[in-house]
Amino acid sequence: MAAPAPAQHREAEEEAEEMAGVVKLISAEGFEFFVDKKAAMVSNTLRNMLTSPGGFAETREGEVRFPEISTAILEKICQYFYWSLHYSSGKETAEFPIEPEITLELMMAANYLDT
Amino acid sequence: MGSACSRKRGQLVHEDELYSVRFSKSGSFKWLLHTLSRSSSDVLRKAQRPGPGHCPSLVELCVARVREDISRYSDFSMLPRDLSQQIFNELVEWSYLTEESLEAFRDCALQDICLEEYPGVKDAWMEVVASQGQSLLSVDISCSDVTDSGLDVLKDCSNMQSLACNYCDQISEHGLKTLSGLSNLTSLSLKKCAAVTAEGAKAFADLVNLVNLDLERCPKIHGGLVHLKGLRKLETLNMRYCNCITDSDMKYLSDLTNLRELQLSCCKISDIGVSYLKGLSKLAHLNLEGCAVTAACLEAISGLASLILLNLNRCGIYDEGCENLEGLVKLKVLNLGFNHITDACLVHLKELVSLECLNLDSCKIGDEGLLHLKGLLQLRSLELSDTEVGSNGLRHLSGLRNLQSMNLSFTLVTDIGLKKVAGLNSLKSLNLDNRQITDNGLAALAGLTGLTHLDLFGARITDSGTNCLRYFKELQSLELCGGLITDAGVKNIKDLKALTLLNLSQNGNLTDRTLELISGLTALVSLNLSNTRVSNAGLHHLKLLQNLRSLSLDSCKVTASEIKKIQLASLPNLISVRPE
Repeated sequence: MAAPAPAQHREAEEEAEEMAGVVKLISAEGFEFFVDKKAAMVSNTLRNMLTSPGGFAETREGEVRFPEISTAILEKICQYFYWSLHYSSGKETAEFPIEPEITLELMMAANYLDT
Repeated sequence: MGSACSRKRGQLVHEDELYSVRFSKSGSFKWLLHTLSRSSSDVLRKAQRPGPGHCPSLVELCVARVREDISRYSDFSMLPRDLSQQIFNELVEWSYLTEESLEAFRDCALQDICLEEYPGVKDAWMEVVASQGQSLLSVDISCSDVTDSGLDVLKDCSNMQSLACNYCDQISEHGLKTLSGLSNLTSLSLKKCAAVTAEGAKAFADLVNLVNLDLERCPKIHGGLVHLKGLRKLETLNMRYCNCITDSDMKYLSDLTNLRELQLSCCKISDIGVSYLKGLSKLAHLNLEGCAVTAACLEAISGLASLILLNLNRCGIYDEGCENLEGLVKLKVLNLGFNHITDACLVHLKELVSLECLNLDSCKIGDEGLLHLKGLLQLRSLELSDTEVGSNGLRHLSGLRNLQSMNLSFTLVTDIGLKKVAGLNSLKSLNLDNRQITDNGLAALAGLTGLTHLDLFGARITDSGTNCLRYFKELQSLELCGGLITDAGVKNIKDLKALTLLNLSQNGNLTDRTLELISGLTALVSLNLSNTRVSNAGLHHLKLLQNLRSLSLDSCKVTASEIKKIQLASLPNLISVRPE
C-alpha cells in the first residue's frame, strides 16, 4: 500500500485480526475444545482474557484452562457460544436446549464466564 | 351531539406527574396504565420482553429453565447469592413462587425480597424471608396478609435498609414495635396503615437513619408526628391524604431541616400549620394540594429558597398575598389550579423564569394575564383549561418555543387564536376540547408535526378537517368526538400507525367501514366507538388489534356476546369491554 491506511481503517483491521483464529478451552478433566475466537468472545470473561494486551498468558498462548468446569458443561457452553452467534445474526430461532439435570451446574459456569 | 358529552379530567393532579409532563391525561387512559401490573396475562409480559434482536445470556436461559422445572428443586442455598437472587426474582416476576417453592430459598443470603402485591403472602412465608438474616437489605410485603407475628420474625434482620408494608391491614400498633429494632432502615413505607397512631408511631423514634418515610393515607396518624421530631436525616416525607393531620401536628416537622420533599395534600392544615415549615431551607418539593390554606401561607413559603416544586392546587388562594411568590425564583413547577386568582396574581409570576410547568386550571384568568407569562421561556407545560383565556391572549404565548404541552379546553379560544400558537413546534400534547374550534383552526396547526397527543373531543371537526391529521404521523392519542365525522374522515386516520388511543365516539354516522379502515392500527391499546353505527357484522375487523386492552362500543348495534366471542378468539389482552 502506498499511502498509510487511515486510522479508522487500521482499527477495523486490528479488530478483524483479534477475532480471527481459534482458542483452546480445557476442561477439569483435561479435555480440549477448539472454538473460534469469535465464538469464545461471547463470554465476557474470555473476551477480557483474550483481548487485554499482554495481561494474561492466555492471550499469548490461545488456551484457557477451567479446572472447575467439567467436560460435559464446557461442551454445553461451547454449543451456547455458537447458538448465540447464530441467534444474534437471526439465523437461529430454535430454543437453546438445557437438560434439567445440568441446569444449576451450567448456570454457575455461565455466571463465572459472564455469558 | 358531542357537546353533551364534555367531561373533566381526573380530580387530583399528582405533582410528580405534573413535573414529568405526562401526556396521558384522559381519565380512561390513566386507568389502563395502572392495570399494567402483575395481574396481567403472561402473553402481555412476554410481549414486553426484549425482541428477537436481544440474545438471552446463558445465565438467563438457565434461570428460565429453573423456573420451568421449579418443582425439581428443594434447596438453592449452595448457589452463589447472585444466582439464587436471580431465580427468586424470576419466580416472582412470573408468579411461579408459592409457599412450597419459597422453601428452597431458606438461608440463601438473599438481599432483596420484593413481594409487593404478590398473591398469597402471609405469616407462613416470613420465616424463610427472615432466614436470609443479616444479608437481607430490602423487603416489600405490600398488600399482603402478614400480621404482627409475621412482622416480628424480621426483628433479627437488623441490616435491613428498606422495608415496605403498604396496605398491610393485619398489622397493629403492637406489631409496629418490631420496627424500632431495625435501626439501619433508611426507607420505610407504610401506606394506608391504621396501626400508625400516636402510640404506634413511637417505634419511629428509634429509626434515626431514616431518609425516606412514606405514611400516605394513614388514617389515625394524628398525634404521632411527635415521634418524628428527632429524625434529622429525613429527606422525603409523604403524608398525602392523611386527613387527620392538623396544625398541631405540624410543629414537630419544624426541626427536620434536611427535608427536601414534603407531601401534605388533603391534610387538615391551615396557614398556621404551614408556618412551622419556615426553617426548612432545603425543601425543594412542597405539596399542599387540597389543604385549607390561603395566600397568607405564602409568607412562610417565600422563605423556602430551595423550592423547585410548589403545588397549591385546590387551595383557597386569592390574589392578595400572591406577591410572596415573586422571590421563589428557583421554581420549576407551580400548580395554582382551582384557586380564586385573577390576572392580578399573574403579574407576580413574571420573574419566575425557571418555570417549566404552570397549572392555572379553572382560575379566573383571561387574556390580559397571559401577558405576564410572555417571558417564561422555559415553560414546557401550560394548563389553561376552564379559564377565560381567548384568542387575543394567545399572542402572548407565541414566543414560548419550549412548550410541549398546552391545554386550552373549555376556554374562549377560537380558530383565529390557534394561528398564534401555530409556530410552537415543540408542542407534543395539545388539548382543544372546545366547541368553537373548527376545521379552519385545525388547518392552521398543520405544521405541528411533532404532536403525539391531540384532544379535539368537543371540537367541530368535519371530514374535510381531518385532512390535516395526516401530517401528525407521531400521534399516539387522538380524540375526535364532535359528531361530524363519517367513514370518509376516518380514511385520514387509518395511516396514523403510532396511535395507541383512539376515541371517535359520538360520531353517529360511523359504520362498520370505520372498523375496517382502522383494522391496521395495530398499536391501539384503547378504542372508543360508542354511540356510532358499528355493528356485530364489523367486529371481525378488530382481530388484528392484538394490543387492545380497552374497547368501548356502548350504544352501538353490537351485543356483549359477540364481543366476548372475538375477545376469546383473537384479543388476548382485552380486559375492559363495554358493553359487558
